[in-house]
Amino acid sequence: MDLAILYVKKFYKIIRGEVLVLPSRISVGLFFLVLIGLPLITRDPYIIRIIILTSIFAILAASWDLLSGFTGQMNFGHALFFGVGAYASALLNVHAHIPPWGSVPLGALAAVMAGLIVGIPCLRLKHTYLALTTLAFPIILLGIIFALPDWTGGELGISGLTRFTSSLLGNYYLHIITMLVLCTIMWKITDSNTGLIFHAIREDELAVKTAGINTTRYKLLAFCLSGFFAGIAGGLYAHYMRIAGPSTLEVSMSFTVVIWAIFGGAATIYGPVAAVFILFPLLEFVRFWPEYRTLIFAFIVLFTLLYMPEGLIPWVRDKIEKECPRCKIRNVSTRKTCRICTAGLD
Amino acid sequence: MAEILLKVESLTKRFGGLRAVNDVSFCMQQKEVLGLIGPNGAGKTTLLRLLTGILKPDSGSVIFKGTELVGLKTWNIVNRGVACTFQNMRPFRRLPIIANVMVYCLSPRSMHRGEWVKKVEDKAMDALEFAGISDMALEKASVLSQGDLKRLEIARAVATDPELLLLDEPFGGLSPAETDLMAKSIHRLHKGGRFGRLHSEGPAMIIVEHKLQQLMKIVDRIIVLNFGTILAEGTPEEVVKNPQVIEAYLGKEGD
Ligand SMILES: Nc1ncnc2c1ncn2[C@@H]1O[C@H](COP(=O)(O)OP(=O)(O)O)[C@@H](O)[C@H]1O
Ligand SMILES: [Mg+2]
Repeated sequence: MDLAILYVKKFYKIIRGEVLVLPSRISVGLFFLVLIGLPLITRDPYIIRIIILTSIFAILAASWDLLSGFTGQMNFGHALFFGVGAYASALLNVHAHIPPWGSVPLGALAAVMAGLIVGIPCLRLKHTYLALTTLAFPIILLGIIFALPDWTGGELGISGLTRFTSSLLGNYYLHIITMLVLCTIMWKITDSNTGLIFHAIREDELAVKTAGINTTRYKLLAFCLSGFFAGIAGGLYAHYMRIAGPSTLEVSMSFTVVIWAIFGGAATIYGPVAAVFILFPLLEFVRFWPEYRTLIFAFIVLFTLLYMPEGLIPWVRDKIEKECPRCKIRNVSTRKTCRICTAGLD
Repeated sequence: MAEILLKVESLTKRFGGLRAVNDVSFCMQQKEVLGLIGPNGAGKTTLLRLLTGILKPDSGSVIFKGTELVGLKTWNIVNRGVACTFQNMRPFRRLPIIANVMVYCLSPRSMHRGEWVKKVEDKAMDALEFAGISDMALEKASVLSQGDLKRLEIARAVATDPELLLLDEPFGGLSPAETDLMAKSIHRLHKGGRFGRLHSEGPAMIIVEHKLQQLMKIVDRIIVLNFGTILAEGTPEEVVKNPQVIEAYLGKEGD
């Protein structure tokens, strides 16, 4: 018993020392807690459904950020990975009767293959050319899907997938925990040495080559990792909606992902996740106003980016926290001196 | 000592009709310091870029420690022990200075060489210490002055622990005081030894430079390039007395 109290105290100390010192960390903690505790407040199927879809798209937006935000490989065809994940897991589930636990990871592996197939021709391309080429891939796949209606259901897509579980709460927890875990993994990747190399490639690829690093391999790795996470999002989506249709591959899907990520703040992972959690539910709730939906979306994004070119979340973060000029540790902006090195903050 | 480290044979690079590097051949011994001079547009930078595989030559060969480098990728050449710096420095501007060097500590060669140094940060910090900009390690690279950017290039080169180091105008844009400091750093690096947790055998060097006075003190031998071809070759004393060189290059400075 004493031991338990000791551990609780230790845990509290860590929380107080590491989390409660910065508003951004408190926000992340609250985000986790609210998502996990939400069913205590409401079990409205409509709200649960929206949060599940939001979680799926949060994974998608973060996976775009991992590739394009960090390595600077502008992917305007991210729907490809989402669509490949969705269709592959749907085919495996409906035709081969593989349960979702198997079909979603296998679908993600198919998306990794897609990442390789797209990545290799894109290695030599930069900027606009890269963007246009990536844009073409999901369109090509759509063409193939329409050409093989016996397999893919053509316009109608593949329907009748099984869900992971039929329980409302089961589905809820499955999706939010998957989202929280995958996004944490993606953030950890960007925080590692591999992430540092991704970042450096975006800044100056030639300089990374002269560091003795095989940038080709790292760029392909970024394509594959991004494809993997987006593929999982696609598989989850197909199984949750119980259909994999052509809408998963549409150009508008690719663009929406880019807009989410840039709105939230590219090259942060948490920015795109936050952006999806703000924009997706918002657009769902103005559904009763369908003719203005897209317009509202466009205006919000436009004004945000006009005033916050770095994206919403980095802007907010700069308002509530400031960096110590001496030791570069972040502090609450209300503090006068740094919490670590006690240097003045102004 | 007399072992051949680098053998360049009739290397040629054309840009359209222009022969930027034309039939250049020379040899380098281990630990040798070679100065490469010549007027603007002589093809010095192009020659260095051919050696590191950033550019592909139209013909010719580069043998480094018995291996043909022509046709190999830049990252591969760097991992074999050739490092280079850029004339117009190429920092990762939005990354902290320490991260700029950490990237250079992450190559297979660098990881293998300093295996016993657990943390990449420590290695990068020692390289910054050597270059004399460790106090700014956490600043963004975009705040660095011209002189400090040159030092960052040196720190990066040290981090890869090369056997052949190619320096493209290391004194370019530096004040006389900064030039002296840089010359001392280069000399110290060439002597080799321990720099914090880093270790250097003392690489051979090719130094491209305009400031001849400084260069003469460091180099064993000078190659003069003009219009992509070797105009003269010899010890610093021989080269400055060569009438062709005076006409093509030094004469202009005397005006
Ligand atoms: N990428 C390139 N494309 C076309 N011409 C180039 C290129 N790089 C260099 N040159 C030309 O090659 C010649 C040699 O350039 P360079 O090697 O930079 O000279 P240096 O470094 O000796 O001043 C110059 O005339 C330059 O204009
Ligand atoms: Mg030059």
